[in-house]
Amino acid sequence: MKTLADLKKIREKAQEEMKLRGGNVRVKIVVGMGTSGIAMGAREVMKTFLEEISNRNLTDVLVTQTGEKGLSSMEPVVDLIEEGKAKVTYGNMNPDKVRKVVVEHIVNGRVVSDYVVATGD
Amino acid sequence: MQDISLHLLDIIENSVRAKARNVKIRVIKDVGENLLRLIVEDDGSGMDSETLAMAQNPFYTSKAQREKKVGLGIPLFKQNAELSNGSFNMSSQPGFGTVLTVDFGLNHIDRMPLGNLKATLLGAIVGHPEVDFQIILINHDGGKENSFHFETAAIKEELGDIPLTYPDVIEYIDQSLNEGIQNTNMENV
Repeated sequence: MKTLADLKKIREKAQEEMKLRGGNVRVKIVVGMGTSGIAMGAREVMKTFLEEISNRNLTDVLVTQTGEKGLSSMEPVVDLIEEGKAKVTYGNMNPDKVRKVVVEHIVNGRVVSDYVVATGD
Repeated sequence: MQDISLHLLDIIENSVRAKARNVKIRVIKDVGENLLRLIVEDDGSGMDSETLAMAQNPFYTSKAQREKKVGLGIPLFKQNAELSNGSFNMSSQPGFGTVLTVDFGLNHIDRMPLGNLKATLLGAIVGHPEVDFQIILINHDGGKENSFHFETAAIKEELGDIPLTYPDVIEYIDQSLNEGIQNTNMENV
């Protein structure tokens, strides 16, 4: 059984880490979770991002869900926002593409241009 | 949508868009009553009776920026519930929130599977840190009752400024939900 005491340990560990690197969020990921996105597999895209963050221990990445953004024909759609850089929108995503974006873009800092459907706002 | 959990995710997103701060999700499986019931209750902006009726119409959407004015989420969910000899009920009060109760015939051959409840809940919880979720799973089978209660408010309080996307926190929520789903026999439903 998981207990709140486990969370206390996690908090202490995380606070220690945040002290070392300044606690900034480096990358924000926004997964489009409108009706058409969900029907096209957005839940599995979200799930894969969370698995990758957990498995690779990426402590400076945030993931959130949002509603539709009018790109229904390219769902599932994901925005990747890095401080000081133009927003990158990836389309027609699936778990394999998510794993590639995590390695290439989030870890190594190279945009995966094959999957990009829009940039900027 | 291939399963009930995907519809649930769609409904949660509706609650979030209605600016809910608290979302309570109950999944009740009752073998004796041949019933699978889903109740989603939020404290979002709510709807007046006219909007409530329109929300069940496929040619209505509240999503203003959309070019195509269709909203299939709720009508499809309703249709899928009714196909399994179930029912779909939505009540709402502007300023107070919305309650949705969806019943499925547990044994009905045309009932869609419950699907990956964990993926829906984990994504919603982590993806909407501003919303407090209360999750209750209940399994009635013969004389036995197993239940699982999960509240994200207590977790957030314990975590302080540590985000829910912190890797160990994702794992914590994932494992907690897993245990709850297994203990209430909500896998492969």
